[in-house]
Amino acid sequence: MTIGDPTKLKVAKELGRPGILFCLARAPGSTRLFTGCSDGKVYDLDIAAEKPEAKEFVGHESYVTGLALAGGALVSGSWDGSLIWWNIETREVIRKVAAHARWVRGVTASPDGKLISSVSDDMTCKLWNAETGELVRTLEGHEKTTPHHYPSMLFVSAFSADGQRLATADKVGHVVIWDVATGNKLAAVEAPTMYTWDPRQRRHSIGGIRSLAFSPDGKLLATGGIGQIENIDHLGAAARIEVFDWQEGKRTHEFPGDNYKGLIEQLAFTPAGDTLIATGGDNNGFIKFVDLKDNKIIHQDKAPMHVYAMSVGEMWDTLYAAGHGKIVAWEFKAEAPAPAAETAAEGESKSP
Amino acid sequence: MTRRMNFCGSMDHGVSRRGFLETAAVAGASAFAANMNGLDVLQTPALAEEIKRQEKHVILLWLAGGASQLETWDPKPGRPTGGPFKAIDTSVPGIRISELLPKLAQRMQHTAIIRSLNTKNADHGGGASLMETGRRNEAGLQYPDIGAMLAKELGRADSQVPDYVSMYTSSEGRRKGTAGFLGARYAPMFLDKELMPENMRRLEAISDLDHKERADLRDLLHKQFARGRDNGSLASHNGAYQRVRGLMASEKLFDIGQEPQSQRDAYGPTQFGEQVLVARRLIEAGVPFVKVARAWWDSHGQNFETHLELCTELDHVMSTLIDDLQVRGLLEKTLIITLAEFGRTPQINASLGRDHFASAWSSSLTGCGVKGGSVFGKSDEDGLRVADGEVGSAELFATIFRALGINHQKNYMVGARPVPLTDPGTKPIEAVLA
Repeated sequence: MTIGDPTKLKVAKELGRPGILFCLARAPGSTRLFTGCSDGKVYDLDIAAEKPEAKEFVGHESYVTGLALAGGALVSGSWDGSLIWWNIETREVIRKVAAHARWVRGVTASPDGKLISSVSDDMTCKLWNAETGELVRTLEGHEKTTPHHYPSMLFVSAFSADGQRLATADKVGHVVIWDVATGNKLAAVEAPTMYTWDPRQRRHSIGGIRSLAFSPDGKLLATGGIGQIENIDHLGAAARIEVFDWQEGKRTHEFPGDNYKGLIEQLAFTPAGDTLIATGGDNNGFIKFVDLKDNKIIHQDKAPMHVYAMSVGEMWDTLYAAGHGKIVAWEFKAEAPAPAAETAAEGESKSP
Repeated sequence: MTRRMNFCGSMDHGVSRRGFLETAAVAGASAFAANMNGLDVLQTPALAEEIKRQEKHVILLWLAGGASQLETWDPKPGRPTGGPFKAIDTSVPGIRISELLPKLAQRMQHTAIIRSLNTKNADHGGGASLMETGRRNEAGLQYPDIGAMLAKELGRADSQVPDYVSMYTSSEGRRKGTAGFLGARYAPMFLDKELMPENMRRLEAISDLDHKERADLRDLLHKQFARGRDNGSLASHNGAYQRVRGLMASEKLFDIGQEPQSQRDAYGPTQFGEQVLVARRLIEAGVPFVKVARAWWDSHGQNFETHLELCTELDHVMSTLIDDLQVRGLLEKTLIITLAEFGRTPQINASLGRDHFASAWSSSLTGCGVKGGSVFGKSDEDGLRVADGEVGSAELFATIFRALGINHQKNYMVGARPVPLTDPGTKPIEAVLA
């Protein structure tokens, strides 16, 4: 499957929203978006509507930082430590689970929709039965403290396309790849450049791996974050991507970034596995299309806001994003192919 | 011009032992004159009061760069400005603080919170100067900072230990502090590199006996020279030398290796933990004022991650300090202050940061002279402005002085000019005083 033309990227719709939107889930085949907000609510809106009306889901007590559609329900995770299963039509709570001892940083659904993964600053990843809400297993493979004796943070998890592997990544750049069926640790890779510890000027840290994506064949694992920061008061370093052959334990690609600063908040491989789409930001936002074959940026542009989450349309020529005070729809549709010579020459006589 | 490296190794900071002696001797006319001649003799406290006061100590935890009041003492959960952290109950019913301070929450009975500071200066340099001295700068007059004032008020003339020790090892926003018109006698012993002061040890080439005999000879010569000469500078010169051996002997106070491992473990492995342990050792030995600067809280980006790190450390270390002082019977004699140059904006920027904010922020006072479990002042529901009980740096300083039994209206005489500890008309915050 081909994707649209990244060089034709344009904002198709920009919708201002109060609060900070940390996560996004899209009903398959539609423009119906669910987004989790800093006000503790989840909103449901149709971005294609002329005047999108947001319906709210009320149940969390802090930032909603993870959303996934699975098992016919919407599952949200929050800094209040809980997961909530919602009926997406009635917006009623199906169940609320005190999932983690500390803040939930992200929620992901397995490709078959049977499992929910949640990651938290209690440094565990938990797998849940998406249908029943039962805890399937707890994955523990990340240190609770950084090498400098401060609390670490477990930011993100991602399933492989076949659902057999799960990757988790933390603040210091440690990535663990798990066997979903057994909970066994299969491998680990490191991206320490994404963690900045300032021992002299400011004496604390910043950074961490904020995004993960498996290639469609499951062989490569992309990690996103930010490079080493000189002044850690700000997200003042280039956005950074590292790609690993996780089975070999080798880094295959490194994109240290350029003039777009900030965190890579989300990554997605295109179906062919040769291109990565990356979004994120600092005080501003960006979107990048990265060619893994030629090791180059195909196209990048400013986003209207710091982007925390995205969903790519099924035709791979539209993209929906949520972030700081906004929801955006981008299009990057390829131009219709030029008419064939015969057609173009319609009406003209042809030589026999 | 060649500049001599001083005590801390920095060209700009610190007072070395040698520098201390030279400064006291050469600049005695200003330094010691301020000490001896700049007294408000009419307000000299009674001896009993003096002795009582001299047993008091202060540990200032300077949260350099500006800690967020919303992630510490004045949380606003559920508000657009509140951030992700919730408020938790404390040991004092009705008082709730950020969930990032769970251990301090359980010790709230020792602490008073002031939630209504409006100090109007959200610039690092200006804000720090204001919150160090309690007032705005004035042309032609260099005010002493709170450490120097308390070193003077709480310190003993014959003390064998430093009066004012200041630790600031991170380089960002580093400020040494100043004794201002009080003179070099009250300048801080400044540690900006290691826990252990540099140049404190006797040179190996000189034996202890030799060193002592040199001191005795110098003292004999001084006495002969000073006979019939009633001169403050001479007294300053001699007084400085008389303190040398005591200061040298205080080296062990900076050595946390002297502490049981269990005690070191209790304070934890971070540099801040070790510095606060040294602070406890110092005040236990009689040092009246110790400042431990923990930099750098200036979280323009990733405020919540930064505070998750730094508040966790503050919570643990300060709680350990409170417990340690209490066990040693020192908590009622020691005032622990948390303070910074300002707080942080309620508004959250697109980098999930908070910026500089001086319009409605918080400080805490724990221990000596404080009505534990009290809260003064109130910010509005989003923390954007003070809703009740607005106070500034002067009121905070007056409160600190009063908590320590010091008359905040007392005057220093700078030449013929009376300079009060706090600006005229300033009132302490009675609601947080014991």
